[in-house]
Amino acid sequence: MAGRLLLRACTRTLQLRSGVVARPLHRAMVTERGIPTDEEQATGLERRALQALKQGKDPYSILKPQQYAGTKEDPHIVPCIGTKRIVGCLCEEDNTAIVWFWLHEGEAQRCPSCGSHYKLVHHELPH
Amino acid sequence: MAHQAHAYHMVDPSPWPLTGAISALLMTSGLATWFVYKTTTLLFLGTTLLLLTMFQWWRLIIRESTFQGHHTTPVQKGLRYGMVLFITSEVFFFIGFFWAFYHSSLAPAIELGGLWPPTGITPLDPFEVPLLNTAVPLASGVTVTWAHHSIMEGARKPALQSLTLTVLLGLYFTALQAMEYYEAPFTLADGVYGCTFFVATGFHGLHVIIGTTFSMVCLLPHTHYHFTSNHHFGFDAAAWYWHFVAVVWLFLYISIYWWGS
Repeated sequence: MAGRLLLRACTRTLQLRSGVVARPLHRAMVTERGIPTDEEQATGLERRALQALKQGKDPYSILKPQQYAGTKEDPHIVPCIGTKRIVGCLCEEDNTAIVWFWLHEGEAQRCPSCGSHYKLVHHELPH
Repeated sequence: MAHQAHAYHMVDPSPWPLTGAISALLMTSGLATWFVYKTTTLLFLGTTLLLLTMFQWWRLIIRESTFQGHHTTPVQKGLRYGMVLFITSEVFFFIGFFWAFYHSSLAPAIELGGLWPPTGITPLDPFEVPLLNTAVPLASGVTVTWAHHSIMEGARKPALQSLTLTVLLGLYFTALQAMEYYEAPFTLADGVYGCTFFVATGFHGLHVIIGTTFSMVCLLPHTHYHFTSNHHFGFDAAAWYWHFVAVVWLFLYISIYWWGS
């Protein structure tokens, strides 16, 4: 705290000398009424997630996955940060045996059991 | 550089859970040695370690959340569940003491004179200091709600004032109860009345102290602009805990002070 006071005293002196308007040292961006918003202050992963959601994207899988028909025209879209991802297909609701298979980029693949279409779509993580 | 593709927080290892567990062991065994051998070494050690753990662990959480941004929406949701479950467990803790009180008071034993309050006990007048001690938590419930709305609307000064007021009311309550304890005409050793009274109100008082400390610890980040109008979970948790403490007092007042007098 003493350091901050010293810094403030020095800055003030210098600014007064050069005729610059003194801005509040440590509060540059704050709303009119004093409490910052997430837009101003969120950082790190929280910020990246918020910004992506604002653009309508969900790279961190926060929202429930979309429902797709699984047909050739409307395949299940599988986001992936690489070139392949494991898919587990519950062919019918309440099935206890899951059908696992690797989904590769390129043409849509079909589940070996029920035939639903799955398409890998490449996604970048925000950074 | 590998970034995680999920929104959860995989915490880094830290020593504070271990020091917390050790402090719990030292405090409980310290209490026992204090009761039996009248030495306070273990208890003192345990309390010091507990204070250190609390300071360091919560400092670490503030760093991870406010400064590093690990508390995404799913993480916050998990923290909310955690706080709610914790408060629920505390509710059941108090239910035990209310059970003990009603068990003994609804059908008073012949050794007590067959009546409640037992023969020889002069209960505290519920319409004197206890009534003031009811108005105080109710008022602090209002101030903490005022603080919450101020934070959500982005109004810093009213939030600071109302939060400070909440802390002051909490301290006032503790002071009044301490005075009542000192002046009470009966003690913990006065049969089942004294036992149920002091154990129930004593644990409640401890929770008031915890709640007041929690609110005080919220004041500090708030003055340093840590909270945003949308993301201020530490404050939410403190406010919930405070409401819980106030509601327990209401039940205590109605059961033990009023009905039980």
